[in-house]
Amino acid sequence: MTSNQAHHNYVAEGRTVGFFTDPTVCIGCKACEVACKEWNEVPEDGLIWTGHSYDNSGSLGGATWRHVKFRETENPVGWTFLSDVCKHCEHAGCLEACPTGAIFRTEVSSVYVQDDVCNGCGYCIVGCPFGVIDRRPQPLPGAGGAFKCTFCYDRQIDGLTPACAKACPTESIQFGPLDELHARADKRVAELHARGVADARIYNPVDTSVGGIHAFFLLLGPPEEFGLPPRPEVPTVYLRGAWLSAAMTSVLALAGACLAFALL
Amino acid sequence: MSVIVPGEPQKSHRATEDRLEKLREEAGRTGRVAETGVAIVGGPIPRDAKASSGYYGQPIVKPPVWTWQIGLYLFVGGTAGMSGVIALASLLADQSLDVVRAALGVAFAGALISPALLIWDLGRPTRFLNMLRVFKWRSAMSMGVWTLFLFGGFSGSAFVLVEAWNFLMQSDVPPTALRGIALALVAGTALSGVVLATYTGVLLGATAVPVWSAHHKLLPFHFGSVGLGSAAAVLELFGFRIAALNAIGLTVAAVETGVGGWIEIRRQGVTARAIHDGTPGLLLRTAALLTGPGALILRIVGWVPIAAIGFLIGAIFSRYGWVLAGRTSASDPEETIATQRRGSESVAL
Amino acid sequence: MPGLGTSFGRGGATTAPSDLVNSEAILIMGSNMAENHPVGFQWVIEARERGAHVIHVDPRFSRTSAMATIWAPLRAGSDVLFLGGLINYVLDRGKEFREYVVHYTNASAILPVDVQDSEELGGLFSGWDAKSAKYDPNTWSFQRSPAADRKPPSDATQNPGGHTKESGARAADLADYDRDPTLEHPRCVYQVLKRHFARYTPDMVEQYCGVPKERFLEIAEAYCSASGSEKTGAICYAVGWTQHSTGVQIIRSAAILQLLLGNIGRPGGGILALRGHASIQGSTDIPTLFDILPGYLAMPKFGPDSSTLAAYINRYRDRTGWWSNFDKYIVSLLKAYYGDAATRENDWGFGWLPRVTGDHSHQAYWLDMMDGKVEGLFVMGQNPAVAAPNARLERKALAMLKWLVVRDMVEVETASFWYDSPEVERGELRTEEIGTEVFLLPAAGHAEKDGCFTNTQRLLQWHEKAVDPPGDARSETWFMYHLGTRLKEKAERDPGPRNAGLNALTWDYSVTGVQREPRVEEILQEINGYTGPDRTPVGGFGELKADGSTACGCWIYSGVFPRLGENRAGERHSRSAYGHGWGFAWPADRRVLYNRASARPDGSPWSERKKLVWWDALSREWTGLDTPDFTKTKPPDYQPPHDAEGDAGLAGDKPFIMHPDGVGWIWVPDGLADGPLPTHYEPLESPIANPLYPAQQINPAALKMERPDNQYARSPDPRFPYVMTTYRLTEHHTAGGMSRTLPHLAELQPEFFCEISPELAAERDIESGGWLTIMTMRGIVEARALVTPRMRPLRIDGKTVHQVGVPYHWGSRGLVTGDSANDLLAISEEPNVRIMEAKGLLCDVLPGRRPRGAAALDLWRTHMSHSS
Repeated sequence: MTSNQAHHNYVAEGRTVGFFTDPTVCIGCKACEVACKEWNEVPEDGLIWTGHSYDNSGSLGGATWRHVKFRETENPVGWTFLSDVCKHCEHAGCLEACPTGAIFRTEVSSVYVQDDVCNGCGYCIVGCPFGVIDRRPQPLPGAGGAFKCTFCYDRQIDGLTPACAKACPTESIQFGPLDELHARADKRVAELHARGVADARIYNPVDTSVGGIHAFFLLLGPPEEFGLPPRPEVPTVYLRGAWLSAAMTSVLALAGACLAFALL
Repeated sequence: MSVIVPGEPQKSHRATEDRLEKLREEAGRTGRVAETGVAIVGGPIPRDAKASSGYYGQPIVKPPVWTWQIGLYLFVGGTAGMSGVIALASLLADQSLDVVRAALGVAFAGALISPALLIWDLGRPTRFLNMLRVFKWRSAMSMGVWTLFLFGGFSGSAFVLVEAWNFLMQSDVPPTALRGIALALVAGTALSGVVLATYTGVLLGATAVPVWSAHHKLLPFHFGSVGLGSAAAVLELFGFRIAALNAIGLTVAAVETGVGGWIEIRRQGVTARAIHDGTPGLLLRTAALLTGPGALILRIVGWVPIAAIGFLIGAIFSRYGWVLAGRTSASDPEETIATQRRGSESVAL
Repeated sequence: MPGLGTSFGRGGATTAPSDLVNSEAILIMGSNMAENHPVGFQWVIEARERGAHVIHVDPRFSRTSAMATIWAPLRAGSDVLFLGGLINYVLDRGKEFREYVVHYTNASAILPVDVQDSEELGGLFSGWDAKSAKYDPNTWSFQRSPAADRKPPSDATQNPGGHTKESGARAADLADYDRDPTLEHPRCVYQVLKRHFARYTPDMVEQYCGVPKERFLEIAEAYCSASGSEKTGAICYAVGWTQHSTGVQIIRSAAILQLLLGNIGRPGGGILALRGHASIQGSTDIPTLFDILPGYLAMPKFGPDSSTLAAYINRYRDRTGWWSNFDKYIVSLLKAYYGDAATRENDWGFGWLPRVTGDHSHQAYWLDMMDGKVEGLFVMGQNPAVAAPNARLERKALAMLKWLVVRDMVEVETASFWYDSPEVERGELRTEEIGTEVFLLPAAGHAEKDGCFTNTQRLLQWHEKAVDPPGDARSETWFMYHLGTRLKEKAERDPGPRNAGLNALTWDYSVTGVQREPRVEEILQEINGYTGPDRTPVGGFGELKADGSTACGCWIYSGVFPRLGENRAGERHSRSAYGHGWGFAWPADRRVLYNRASARPDGSPWSERKKLVWWDALSREWTGLDTPDFTKTKPPDYQPPHDAEGDAGLAGDKPFIMHPDGVGWIWVPDGLADGPLPTHYEPLESPIANPLYPAQQINPAALKMERPDNQYARSPDPRFPYVMTTYRLTEHHTAGGMSRTLPHLAELQPEFFCEISPELAAERDIESGGWLTIMTMRGIVEARALVTPRMRPLRIDGKTVHQVGVPYHWGSRGLVTGDSANDLLAISEEPNVRIMEAKGLLCDVLPGRRPRGAAALDLWRTHMSHSS
């Protein structure tokens, strides 16, 4: 098994990579959030105390690319931590939506936004079923453009692990070839079930139009409790129906107008 | 940081009441209720309020970042696009060239205003040309950009040509060759125009915003129909009080009455909250009245200019209403989950 | 530190965090390891994944508790009761590792009749002198069969500081005593221990610690069964234990438990004292503490015991055991300080060392400062205005100085107190009236200087400078070196007796670069030690001599630089499971201390599974997976001849080589100011009376330093019904100078908040997400209210006790600001190490924000004047 610290050649090999995030060993330290911001020079985006347990980052957005969620439970008292990130979908809503071609898929099958092409139209934002990508507001640096996790593409080109995985002290965030991670995750769920953790499950919506996410998670409970959609759809599934409706409307409008002018 | 919704328990609302109503009705009819019931926060059966509102009541998807320019663009583009249709219809019917010229004028004006509005709304306006780097049929916005581009070309050249043709006609030089080209250009204007007027429905429908995707078949139809009605209304206000336009106005108003009524009736849809409550609800309801029964009755009674003005106001309200409904809907994790949970069942039209 | 030092011989963690993967059970108490040692915590998680019990006992359910297999809530300040309960459990059910206890501890030692335990004296041990409020340290020794020859009692002047070993002069008493290996003798330590902890039953634990009985028994069973030849358990602690008026005794309880279970010196065993910062361990090894010299040698005290070097050595040198080499270390240190100026004739310059005349610790001199007795102060890389207890007093005291030098990377609250502090806001201090001249000098960051960290596992790691510090920023080394140079220049011009030490001091490091930075490697070489005129490095402390031919800056570090060019602290190629080849662990790169105890008395491992170090009969030396913490060639069956001295005076089956008798001390006959055994006392402020000793509420030797500006609540006190504890968050760094000023950290925890239970929130009508105000006898602060079920109300003696959690990182400067929790704490001193009691004080909590300005103090004074 490769560790987060090992060098690799995935970009050159064109190998699909992923993140497997396992909350059972996450200590909620937020090293991932800080490492991501430091490496990618993502600005601070709000000194706001939310009162939501220890989560003051709020949500993923244009200037928050790793977001640790804190879930407290009672009876028995418990606390789960989960580091959320862009899912790098197999069928990515943001990528399909982008009209400038700024968003594209890399050699390692991650989804990448070219900041120098993006003109901030905002369509990717409503194209994401997970609410990840967002436009950076003024007065932050880069304001106006859409930003999200780059999967540390620049690091991967040089054979390095993404910053968050590298920094994670307990390897709750695991980076590596996606198929290896799937195998590891299945094994982990089996282990947890054997130990009596009945509601451990993998969150990787392969049976939806999203077709699976490259940054997938082990969850201890239903996805809604962690702010994740239970059945996300890539919005292009609605295109066919919508365009048919548009076509029908167009035909009716043309026919109707011509008829009106012809008869009257 | 994105919008934070304070983690308060969700207050009771009509959708929950309607659902209870439905459950009672189903129970009375069949003797049992098939689906799960409703958890009322603060009700007699204790439920963890936090659990039912997801992760601290945070939105699951992001709201659209578009501002007032887009609402206006939806209106202007729809009107301009359908104006091209009217231009073609009147040209084919050999009507007076004045109607054609006016319709093309409206189309061309819209073709100039629309890009300005869109560019204004961009996060990085100076890079608007990047939209023309690619053509992606799977992106409604890319399609829209190219449609607008084509429409601008067609409407502009059609307008110029028809003006020229008009000028030549008046000087007794029958430019038969020009007629063919003019017809082609106006046809191009109409075809690109009708896409322009309806694609915006696709644009909104093919997104993760629950209330929009739930109505992904309705929106192109509704935007198209309102666009047609608006084009007719504008021309009538410019003085073209002709039967064809009135007929178009009446038909559209009747259609809109149906659409509005249908939305009004479907109050227990999972996305009902977004389109019935608050500011969006007010705008959409007013819009429905103005573009539907209001316009219908006024036209029947013969108060055409008032009907036209009312219709145009309704058309604008409708666009803004749908955009704001999108914002509300995206901010509601329960709606997002409910839309997804029930899969295609939740899709309205 | 003295807790571990007196129990085992050295005051440091006995193992490394990475060794925790070998544990069958880990008890984390007085620590929030996941939040404050997140990288080290990965080993706890790994252990858990391998099936270990991870037990967390803490007033709060923290991020550590979330990862534990068992969590129990605890009333802050009742740790000795809980640990005593575990000891009682072991003794009551015979779960101790018998063979280990008999051979490797002093459980068999017999105590004389006149030595009495706290159970016999209602809460005090024998030897208490009420007038001086101190124990006579001579009253806890063992019984010696030849009653003659007892050495005269040494000077009963209490050592003001407890970080060093205590008197070695009585080592003979401490090595040669009567024993009963069957542990049946009614006055052997084992039986005394049994009687001492007899009342620490599971019912007592439930009633006074707040730990439900079944949970306690679950923990006891889980932890205590990780014992014996096949299993080991480890204990991790941090300031949740040390910041108590009984801190050292809490640690002693853990040490006793570990000795009974036979966990010291074995893989997966030990006690991990989780020290903080990057180099807190280093800051006591090469000390910034007033009472010790490098390597835990004692600072000489003013008095006959230190009038000459011989008297001083006589006081501290043990006849047997490794401290028999004491003289070599002090002489080598003096040669390092004074070079050629140190000669046999002038006692190697011993007379130039300053003498300790009283309590010169932070708390004590700060009170002196408040009373106007201190002229000037250097504050380097510290922020007492936020981080020190009774911060209001701390800040006001700064105004009494003539001059203040602050070296830091940002303008911390200590440097800005004169214009930006709550005292200025409230009118208690007025800027124009403050006479202190404040010098704020920029300091270099860790990437801007060469140097070494010594982390919690005693590991020295060299780090290299990456860039020059910007502008005028300079390293501490640069500052102290050039300051010293200028002082020496002044001393040269004024060569009287007062400046003799300065003039004799060697100060000859070479400097490099435009900034003239001293070469830190030279300092490390001096610390390692050298010999001869050409300064050949010594290979280790075994080569040090008392004849002035060697110099060594810190004997425990000796071996880090054994040859020119070989800086072992800079090595980065780990070649063993214990990390040999990566850095250098003191002493002598031994990673697990006392590892002779991982083998049986006959030298073979206790088991294959738990082997670490063992005797190789063929090559006639100790070998194994770690560097043996033992004389390599001493056979396990070695018996010392009568009157043998030094290391030769210890038998081959005595693992605790720093002790004169070579065994672990369950009963500490010497070295602690407050008792040979731990016993339960309540904190200085408590909601209940001491259930064990109605006549002795608190640690009799602890110092409250009570005065009008440092007051205490009664125990209990109706004005302050809740128990408060302070803590750290992962996101911030101590007093916040290095985290509240960084946007990426500041945004993670932007506001000062307080954690309370939903029950307390209901009782006081406090909204989650709103504000609350906390008051103690020392001050008043406001914080955001975080209402969470992770704070549990406890049932203590039939009534409900609420606990309140307060992180202490905020101050008035930075990107994010807030009130300082330390405004609420009192200045107090644990008697051995002088650490304040920062956990387990009494407070009151009110809804809403506090008033602004002076009105805050009005509200506070009104509250204090309530009688009910």
